[in-house]
Amino acid sequence: MAMSCRERVLAALKQENLDRPPVAVFTTCDTIGMMKACGASWPEAHSDPQKMATLACAQADYFGLESVRAGFCLTQEAEAFGCPINMGTEKSSPMLKGHRYNYNPMKKIYDEPDDLPDMDEFLRTGRIKTTLEAMGIMQKTHGEDYVVVGGNTGPFTLTGHLLNTENLVYSVWTEPERAQKWTKAISAYSKAYGQALLDAGADVVQMSEPSASTDILAPTDFPIQSGQFVKDCLGSLKGHTILHICGDSAPIIPYMFDTGVDGISVEEKVPSEKAIEIANHRGCMVGNVGCAFPLFKGTPEDVAAAAKRSRDAGFNVISAGCGVPIGTPVPGAASRPPQTSYPSRRVCGILLIPSDILGIPQINQRLK
Amino acid sequence: MDEKAILKELADAVVACDPPRAKKAAETALSEGMDPVKAINEGLVVGMGVIGDNYAERKMYLPQVLVAAHSMYEGLDVLIPAIPKDESLTTKNAVCGVVQGDVHDIGKNIVKTMLTAAGFMVHDAGKDVPPEEFKKMMLDDGAQVVCLSTLMTPTMDNMAATVKLIANSGYRDKVIITIGGPPTNDAFAKEIGADHRDENAQQCVSFVNSKV
Repeated sequence: MAMSCRERVLAALKQENLDRPPVAVFTTCDTIGMMKACGASWPEAHSDPQKMATLACAQADYFGLESVRAGFCLTQEAEAFGCPINMGTEKSSPMLKGHRYNYNPMKKIYDEPDDLPDMDEFLRTGRIKTTLEAMGIMQKTHGEDYVVVGGNTGPFTLTGHLLNTENLVYSVWTEPERAQKWTKAISAYSKAYGQALLDAGADVVQMSEPSASTDILAPTDFPIQSGQFVKDCLGSLKGHTILHICGDSAPIIPYMFDTGVDGISVEEKVPSEKAIEIANHRGCMVGNVGCAFPLFKGTPEDVAAAAKRSRDAGFNVISAGCGVPIGTPVPGAASRPPQTSYPSRRVCGILLIPSDILGIPQINQRLK
Repeated sequence: MDEKAILKELADAVVACDPPRAKKAAETALSEGMDPVKAINEGLVVGMGVIGDNYAERKMYLPQVLVAAHSMYEGLDVLIPAIPKDESLTTKNAVCGVVQGDVHDIGKNIVKTMLTAAGFMVHDAGKDVPPEEFKKMMLDDGAQVVCLSTLMTPTMDNMAATVKLIANSGYRDKVIITIGGPPTNDAFAKEIGADHRDENAQQCVSFVNSKV
């Protein structure tokens, strides 16, 4: 009996041997094509739980991905803290318009992390509440067949949103203990939100921590400024956990696994073979088909070649290396009704991977 | 303190990521009668160049670069007002900004710092900048260089729209356009008609210096 999409992804998370890896996107995947296909669009889908669930489930219903994932951006926690947000449009994601606290290491002007929101209130605020409600809807409608993924923001990244990322990074050099004090305080909220996602119906919590990438922090700073807090707020959760960090994460892959997560998500900036070698079977590897190239700008053949490279290298879940660009095309997707096979071309998901590349015996459609 | 020692101290203060030391060295330069333009170009800028090279080679990381840049600006704040009004520090103008739809500006700020260190008068367009604003600043400031940045893939199209607007302005042959940011690459730069894709700030400076 064929495995369901859910069974396949859960097996991949445990690094079990499979006839083929699943194709799932644990980072964001909400394209214009998906919005047109399912009728739920940004910006409304950021704040309406039913629309959020509908758009998230379009990942499986219309694009053949083997998981469903919400929320849709990394500003929702900052908004719940009180940061002003521009909610964007159908084609642009929400943007931070300011910060919540004063933190200027150049002028030595600081707020202390002792006047933070009530935790229960935080979890009932804005898009945090929306996403938690969406998790319940998604688990109810798709949880039997698909893994439900809830996304949240890493503690160093969220702290930067609240204080000003540039100023936080500056203080990593001048006052590292102060930076850690803030990140530790904020990580309690990341932990509570991660647990709430699981309680609300998520099978997997995928945390994005882009501000701790090697483009910003020295690899040796990662465990001190971010890793130790990720370990507490993600690695300790009682559920499946994936940590995503952008850029060339090769120097910090061992540190990423030190956080205790089930798996890590890496970009194409780490060559697939090198990523697998460094990971050394310490956990599930998710990735690493390039987002801008080839997903957004390349041809289906380019995408297939990249996916094949990830599979051949040993990635457990074939996925976009980061968030899927909103303009990523899938030919014919808008006119394709859900729960049908694709007679003209057997493809697997938004990654446009021809089925024979991964040895897929049957297109991964809704099973029921 | 002789001139050579003062210049070395200005550079060393930047490399040491020590803003008060850089400010003090700049004050010393003036009190010793040094030409402020020389103090900038042969002192502070030399130090920032060392930082930029190390950052490009990943021997230094962003926290150090930010503090080194602050050190350079502390010195500049002392030295620039001392430049005689009839003596121009630079005639090279650049506009830097993050394209519309994106507010991630750390990379842009590093490019701004390194272009400043390379002798450009940098006009900072800020973040979430519409194409029309880039065009207006380019024309108003007589820029020879426009540097566009984005961290996010959705806003790559706005980068293309900005280059297109500049191309249609009748000013395209007078300006060098470079782009940068994680989602960009050489092929994308060529596709949208930019002159160069900057892998990092130092590469941006090397390219525009070869053209301007």
